[in-house]
Amino acid sequence: MEKILEVKNLELSFHTFAGEVKAIRGVNFDLKKGETLAIVGESGSGKSVTTKAIMRLLPESSSEFKNGQILFNGKDLTKLTDKEMQKIRGKDISMIFQDPMTSLNPTMTIGKQIMEPILKHQNVAKSEAQKMAIDLLKLVGMPQPEQRMKQYPHQFSGGQRQRIVIAIALACNPKILIADEPTTALDVTIQAQILELMKDLQKKIDTSIIFITHDLGVVANVADRVAVMYSGKIVEIGTVDEIFYNPQHPYTWGLLSSMPSLDVQEEKLYAIPGTPPDLLNPPKGDAFALRSEYAMQIDMEETPPFFKVSDTHYAATWLLHPDAPEVTPPATIIERMKRFPNSRYYESANGGILK
Amino acid sequence: MKIQKKLLEIKNLKQYFNSGKPNEVKAIDDITFDIYKGETLGLVGESGCGKSTTGRTIIRLYDATDGEVLYDGVNVHGRKSKTELKSFNRKMQMIFQDPYASLNPRMKVMDIIAEGLDIHGLVKNAKERQERVYQLLETVGLNKEHANRYPHEFSGGQRQRLGIARALAVEPEFIIADEPISALDVSIQAQVVNLLKELQEEKGLTYLFIAHDLSMVKYISDRIGVMYFGKLVELAPAEDLYKYPMHPYTQSLLSAIPLPDPDYERNRVRKTYDPKSHNYKDGEDVTMREVRPGHFVYCSQAEFKVLQAQHANN
Repeated sequence: MEKILEVKNLELSFHTFAGEVKAIRGVNFDLKKGETLAIVGESGSGKSVTTKAIMRLLPESSSEFKNGQILFNGKDLTKLTDKEMQKIRGKDISMIFQDPMTSLNPTMTIGKQIMEPILKHQNVAKSEAQKMAIDLLKLVGMPQPEQRMKQYPHQFSGGQRQRIVIAIALACNPKILIADEPTTALDVTIQAQILELMKDLQKKIDTSIIFITHDLGVVANVADRVAVMYSGKIVEIGTVDEIFYNPQHPYTWGLLSSMPSLDVQEEKLYAIPGTPPDLLNPPKGDAFALRSEYAMQIDMEETPPFFKVSDTHYAATWLLHPDAPEVTPPATIIERMKRFPNSRYYESANGGILK
Repeated sequence: MKIQKKLLEIKNLKQYFNSGKPNEVKAIDDITFDIYKGETLGLVGESGCGKSTTGRTIIRLYDATDGEVLYDGVNVHGRKSKTELKSFNRKMQMIFQDPYASLNPRMKVMDIIAEGLDIHGLVKNAKERQERVYQLLETVGLNKEHANRYPHEFSGGQRQRLGIARALAVEPEFIIADEPISALDVSIQAQVVNLLKELQEEKGLTYLFIAHDLSMVKYISDRIGVMYFGKLVELAPAEDLYKYPMHPYTQSLLSAIPLPDPDYERNRVRKTYDPKSHNYKDGEDVTMREVRPGHFVYCSQAEFKVLQAQHANN
């Protein structure tokens, strides 16, 4: 499939009073046309910073691109001037933020806010833009769009506001939509509606989505591919089935094990011990080694490269090195692997274990 | 089933805001339930359903409009002397949702945790006070060096631990945890939930656990109550509720949870709930009825018969 965005070896630092925080330490991924790529990881793993770097939303006074490229349509976004970037932002690449309560302007009617990107990027008359805004509100399922256009954000509920934010993001039929935890602030029922809406719209306008979240349930629901981030790096990337049924990195194992399942009654929930490393002084080797029971000597000394698991699945862990000892993943992970045809724990329909 | 002692009885509790005015809100509309000693009762529902208000009314942050909250047989609401209130406050503590807003940024951890100790006169001198705070910090998995810091020096998970240590300081019997993990990362959520569970086993605590994350609630709770627009619509043992959800609202809520399982997600069909679907007639007696042992559903007599027939063989 056609690649629409390529992030190559991206490194980005923040300059703070305490020193240089290496927030992104060599991130590589690409986004294909029409797909949804989910980026998961805990706070501080660099998932939001990565997307803000793509949108060039980071303050230039304190952040610095150290290395790498972000290629969109053959252009390197890290090199564009502010003016050039403004032509792309909101038109070709747009963003949905986490908190619908703060991402809308409380002093502007929502009609005006939806028309803003249309008037800015498309050469249309105001009356035309108004019609388009009403159509967008209809598209995101807002009842009585004509009357609603004249109302202010405080007159809407959280779920409705997120619909408005989505309408604004979609106003110029973007090629890439970046959704930064769009449902975290919402209730499960409203979350389900917003996710259904986003999937529906993706089909209609054929946009690619980068979806940031720490909710693995949501990931399983929306993603085609998943990238797992930890302390400024992608540690594992693959299709949604590969990540959920054949995970390879101990951090992915930890994340998947710490979610309680609805059908099994566990005695004690698995919790990843410790806290993420301080990126002022990133650890040598595998950043997760200090919290991992699977860490080996080499994890403390050398950063693992990406090992290929399949054409679409890569993981950065020394456990995949041919010389590494074979380890037994946690029990819940083995249960997952039993369902995946290419994993070593796969149980075929007749009950035999294929190796 | 073992015989359980009722620690808390909530009877016909009502909490109306703007009472009598046109913008009256029935935040809690006549709910009745018990909390047994040593159990965890989960309370779930969407935002605005009254679950937090219920917790806050029980601990008397709000005065109830009507109804009773009996703690060990004594009514919590109603006229009380200062000493009575104080002894009651010691038994019941609260952990708040937002660990960023619930700790005073201008106080050191030592003073935040010791505030309750001071008010209730639980320590005799400064040395003892310090010892007790160190001990509490260790109980929640922090260490004594943390006592001289300010809240902003801690991460979200650590702050929630401080909130727990503060609640534990006065040795309460009953803790209301109002969405204690919603603001935390998944991996940190597991740490805090495990901590709450360990403390419960160690100290025999009773919890009212308020949340909208249904998978965590199931994991920590013995029984779960589901609220919808100020009413309790279903109350059942945790396993039972997930296996045999009966009220259509509970069913819709359960069908909306995404699980970390792509295969399941591809086949999940979401149910929607329409409160009009009940077609209750005027004056029809709609109330909590016990369909299975310990499993209560808010329904009419006719619905009750149907549910009973459906679940007769389970």
